[in-house]
Amino acid sequence: MTNQRSPLSFREKSAWISLVSLVVVFGTYFSHIGMVLAGLARNRFALFLLMVAVFIIAEVVLHLVIATQSPRDARTPKDEREQLIELKATRTAFYVLLVSAFGSIGTVHLRLSDPDDHLWLMMQAILFSIVLAEAVKFARQIVLYRRDA
Amino acid sequence: MDTAIRNTIRRLRFDHGEMTQQELADKIGVTRQTVNAIELGKYSPSLEVAFRIAAAFGVPLDQVFQYDGDRTASEKKKVRRV
Repeated sequence: MTNQRSPLSFREKSAWISLVSLVVVFGTYFSHIGMVLAGLARNRFALFLLMVAVFIIAEVVLHLVIATQSPRDARTPKDEREQLIELKATRTAFYVLLVSAFGSIGTVHLRLSDPDDHLWLMMQAILFSIVLAEAVKFARQIVLYRRDA
Repeated sequence: MDTAIRNTIRRLRFDHGEMTQQELADKIGVTRQTVNAIELGKYSPSLEVAFRIAAAFGVPLDQVFQYDGDRTASEKKKVRRV
Protein backbone atom coordinates (compact mmCIF):
# COMPACT_ATOMS: atom_id res chain seq x y z
CA MET A 1 0.00 0.00 0.00
CA THR A 2 1.13 3.53 -0.59
CA ASN A 3 1.86 6.92 0.70
CA GLN A 4 0.76 8.61 3.88
CA ARG A 5 2.16 11.96 2.72
CA SER A 6 1.35 13.17 -0.79
CA PRO A 7 3.82 14.88 -3.07
CA LEU A 8 2.58 18.11 -4.65
CA SER A 9 -0.50 17.54 -6.78
CA PHE A 10 -0.93 19.19 -10.19
CA ARG A 11 -3.39 21.71 -8.72
CA GLU A 12 -1.06 22.59 -5.87
CA LYS A 13 1.83 23.11 -8.28
CA SER A 14 -0.49 25.26 -10.37
CA ALA A 15 -1.35 27.41 -7.33
CA TRP A 16 2.35 27.80 -6.52
CA ILE A 17 3.13 28.86 -10.10
CA SER A 18 0.35 31.44 -10.10
CA LEU A 19 1.33 32.81 -6.69
CA VAL A 20 5.04 33.11 -7.49
CA SER A 21 4.40 34.58 -10.96
CA LEU A 22 1.98 37.09 -9.51
CA VAL A 23 4.29 38.16 -6.68
CA VAL A 24 7.39 38.41 -8.87
CA VAL A 25 5.79 40.17 -11.84
CA PHE A 26 3.48 42.55 -10.02
CA GLY A 27 5.96 43.01 -7.18
CA THR A 28 8.31 44.43 -9.81
CA TYR A 29 5.55 46.58 -11.24
CA PHE A 30 4.42 48.01 -7.90
CA SER A 31 7.99 48.69 -6.76
CA HIS A 32 8.26 50.83 -9.93
CA ILE A 33 5.00 52.56 -8.99
CA GLY A 34 6.49 53.22 -5.54
CA MET A 35 9.47 54.88 -7.22
CA VAL A 36 7.09 56.99 -9.35
CA LEU A 37 5.29 58.12 -6.19
CA ALA A 38 8.64 58.98 -4.59
CA GLY A 39 9.55 61.02 -7.64
CA LEU A 40 12.44 58.72 -8.54
CA ALA A 41 11.03 57.41 -11.82
CA ARG A 42 8.60 58.37 -14.56
CA ASN A 43 5.31 56.59 -15.02
CA ARG A 44 5.28 54.41 -18.11
CA PHE A 45 2.09 52.69 -19.16
CA ALA A 46 4.16 50.41 -21.39
CA LEU A 47 5.61 48.84 -18.24
CA PHE A 48 2.14 47.75 -17.18
CA LEU A 49 1.48 46.15 -20.56
CA LEU A 50 4.89 44.47 -20.45
CA MET A 51 4.23 43.06 -16.98
CA VAL A 52 0.83 41.68 -18.02
CA ALA A 53 2.44 40.03 -21.04
CA VAL A 54 5.26 38.56 -18.91
CA PHE A 55 2.72 37.27 -16.40
CA ILE A 56 0.63 35.55 -19.07
CA ILE A 57 3.69 34.01 -20.74
CA ALA A 58 5.08 32.78 -17.39
CA GLU A 59 1.73 31.23 -16.48
CA VAL A 60 1.31 29.49 -19.84
CA VAL A 61 4.89 28.19 -20.08
CA LEU A 62 5.12 26.97 -16.48
CA HIS A 63 1.70 25.31 -16.64
CA LEU A 64 2.75 23.57 -19.85
CA VAL A 65 5.85 22.28 -18.06
CA ILE A 66 3.89 20.77 -15.15
CA ALA A 67 1.21 19.46 -17.51
CA THR A 68 3.94 17.64 -19.45
CA GLN A 69 5.25 16.13 -16.22
CA SER A 70 1.84 14.80 -15.17
CA PRO A 71 -0.47 14.83 -18.22
CA ARG A 72 -3.11 12.65 -16.62
CA ASP A 73 -3.53 14.96 -13.62
CA ALA A 74 -3.65 17.97 -15.94
CA ARG A 75 -6.49 16.43 -17.95
CA THR A 76 -8.46 15.29 -14.89
CA PRO A 77 -11.25 17.72 -13.99
CA LYS A 78 -11.23 19.18 -10.48
CA ASP A 79 -12.84 16.80 -8.02
CA GLU A 80 -15.18 17.82 -5.18
CA ARG A 81 -12.38 18.44 -2.65
CA GLU A 82 -10.44 20.61 -5.08
CA GLN A 83 -13.59 22.57 -5.91
CA LEU A 84 -14.24 23.09 -2.20
CA ILE A 85 -10.68 24.32 -1.67
CA GLU A 86 -11.08 26.76 -4.56
CA LEU A 87 -14.38 28.02 -3.16
CA LYS A 88 -12.92 28.56 0.32
CA ALA A 89 -9.91 30.38 -1.12
CA THR A 90 -12.11 32.56 -3.32
CA ARG A 91 -14.25 33.52 -0.31
CA THR A 92 -11.17 34.65 1.63
CA ALA A 93 -9.92 36.59 -1.40
CA PHE A 94 -13.29 38.30 -1.76
CA TYR A 95 -13.01 39.84 1.72
CA VAL A 96 -9.47 41.01 0.96
CA LEU A 97 -10.69 42.58 -2.28
CA LEU A 98 -13.61 44.22 -0.50
CA VAL A 99 -11.43 45.87 2.16
CA SER A 100 -8.64 46.91 -0.19
CA ALA A 101 -11.10 48.26 -2.79
CA PHE A 102 -12.62 50.50 -0.09
CA GLY A 103 -9.07 51.51 0.82
CA SER A 104 -8.50 52.45 -2.82
CA ILE A 105 -11.39 54.92 -2.63
CA GLY A 106 -9.55 56.55 0.26
CA THR A 107 -6.71 57.60 -2.06
CA VAL A 108 -8.86 60.55 -3.21
CA HIS A 109 -8.12 62.16 0.17
CA LEU A 110 -4.37 62.07 -0.34
CA ARG A 111 -2.70 65.41 -1.02
CA LEU A 112 -0.99 65.24 -4.38
CA SER A 113 0.93 68.00 -6.18
CA ASP A 114 -1.16 67.41 -9.30
CA PRO A 115 -4.88 66.75 -8.57
CA ASP A 116 -5.12 64.89 -11.89
CA ASP A 117 -2.93 62.20 -10.37
CA HIS A 118 -5.79 61.08 -8.14
CA LEU A 119 -7.38 59.07 -10.92
CA TRP A 120 -4.06 57.42 -11.80
CA LEU A 121 -3.35 56.65 -8.15
CA MET A 122 -6.80 55.18 -7.59
CA MET A 123 -6.38 53.02 -10.67
CA GLN A 124 -3.06 51.72 -9.30
CA ALA A 125 -4.66 51.11 -5.89
CA ILE A 126 -7.52 49.13 -7.45
CA LEU A 127 -5.04 47.12 -9.50
CA PHE A 128 -3.07 46.46 -6.33
CA SER A 129 -6.29 45.30 -4.62
CA ILE A 130 -6.97 42.81 -7.40
CA VAL A 131 -3.41 41.47 -7.35
CA LEU A 132 -3.45 41.21 -3.55
CA ALA A 133 -6.78 39.34 -3.57
CA GLU A 134 -5.49 36.92 -6.21
CA ALA A 135 -2.28 36.35 -4.24
CA VAL A 136 -4.31 35.64 -1.09
CA LYS A 137 -6.50 33.21 -3.05
CA PHE A 138 -3.53 31.18 -4.29
CA ALA A 139 -1.83 31.29 -0.88
CA ARG A 140 -5.01 30.06 0.83
CA GLN A 141 -5.34 27.26 -1.74
CA ILE A 142 -1.79 26.14 -0.99
CA VAL A 143 -2.46 26.18 2.76
CA LEU A 144 -5.65 24.14 2.31
CA TYR A 145 -3.94 21.63 0.01
CA ARG A 146 -1.10 21.21 2.53
CA ARG A 147 -3.43 20.87 5.50
CA ASP A 148 -5.40 18.10 3.81
CA ALA A 149 -2.38 16.35 2.30
CA MET B 1 -8.69 19.30 10.88
CA ASP B 2 -9.74 15.67 11.43
CA THR B 3 -13.34 14.76 10.69
CA ALA B 4 -15.73 12.87 12.99
CA ILE B 5 -15.93 10.06 10.46
CA ARG B 6 -13.65 7.04 10.73
CA ASN B 7 -13.01 4.81 7.76
CA THR B 8 -11.51 1.46 6.92
CA ILE B 9 -10.29 2.33 3.43
CA ARG B 10 -6.70 1.44 4.16
CA ARG B 11 -7.69 -2.02 5.41
CA LEU B 12 -10.09 -2.52 2.48
CA ARG B 13 -7.39 -1.55 -0.03
CA PHE B 14 -5.07 -4.08 1.59
CA ASP B 15 -7.76 -6.76 1.43
CA HIS B 16 -8.36 -6.03 -2.24
CA GLY B 17 -4.98 -7.08 -3.55
CA GLU B 18 -3.11 -4.14 -2.05
CA MET B 19 -4.98 -1.72 -4.25
CA THR B 20 -3.10 1.58 -4.54
CA GLN B 21 -4.63 4.95 -3.74
CA GLN B 22 -4.29 5.84 -7.43
CA GLU B 23 -6.24 2.74 -8.51
CA LEU B 24 -9.02 3.56 -6.05
CA ALA B 25 -8.98 7.20 -7.15
CA ASP B 26 -9.39 6.15 -10.79
CA LYS B 27 -12.31 3.89 -9.88
CA ILE B 28 -14.23 6.55 -7.99
CA GLY B 29 -13.31 9.57 -10.13
CA VAL B 30 -11.27 11.72 -7.74
CA THR B 31 -7.57 12.54 -7.43
CA ARG B 32 -5.13 10.39 -5.48
CA GLN B 33 -4.58 13.28 -3.06
CA THR B 34 -8.30 13.30 -2.29
CA VAL B 35 -8.27 9.56 -1.58
CA ASN B 36 -5.30 10.17 0.72
CA ALA B 37 -7.14 13.00 2.52
CA ILE B 38 -10.26 10.83 2.98
CA GLU B 39 -8.19 7.87 4.19
CA LEU B 40 -6.39 10.01 6.77
CA GLY B 41 -9.71 11.46 7.99
CA LYS B 42 -8.78 14.97 6.84
CA TYR B 43 -11.68 15.28 4.43
CA SER B 44 -15.25 13.95 4.57
CA PRO B 45 -16.38 12.95 1.09
CA SER B 46 -19.82 13.67 -0.33
CA LEU B 47 -22.43 10.95 0.00
CA GLU B 48 -22.01 10.12 -3.69
CA VAL B 49 -18.25 9.60 -3.41
CA ALA B 50 -18.75 7.60 -0.20
CA PHE B 51 -21.13 5.27 -2.05
CA ARG B 52 -18.69 5.00 -4.96
CA ILE B 53 -15.92 3.95 -2.54
CA ALA B 54 -18.17 1.31 -0.99
CA ALA B 55 -19.15 0.08 -4.47
CA ALA B 56 -15.48 -0.09 -5.51
CA PHE B 57 -14.86 -2.52 -2.66
CA GLY B 58 -18.23 -4.27 -3.04
CA VAL B 59 -19.22 -3.70 0.60
CA PRO B 60 -22.02 -1.75 2.34
CA LEU B 61 -21.36 1.89 3.18
CA ASP B 62 -21.19 1.29 6.94
CA GLN B 63 -18.32 -1.11 6.44
CA VAL B 64 -16.29 1.72 4.97
CA PHE B 65 -17.36 4.69 7.11
CA GLN B 66 -18.32 4.92 10.77
CA TYR B 67 -19.60 8.07 12.45
CA ASP B 68 -17.51 9.01 15.47
CA GLY B 69 -19.26 12.26 16.35
CA ASP B 70 -21.02 11.10 19.53
CA ARG B 71 -17.76 10.51 21.34
CA THR B 72 -16.34 13.33 23.41
CA ALA B 73 -12.95 14.81 22.57
CA SER B 74 -11.33 13.09 25.56
CA GLU B 75 -12.76 9.72 24.53
CA LYS B 76 -11.32 10.18 21.05
CA LYS B 77 -7.91 10.97 22.55
CA LYS B 78 -8.11 7.79 24.63
CA VAL B 79 -8.98 5.72 21.57
CA ARG B 80 -6.09 7.23 19.64
CA ARG B 81 -3.67 6.46 22.48
CA VAL B 82 -4.83 2.83 22.44
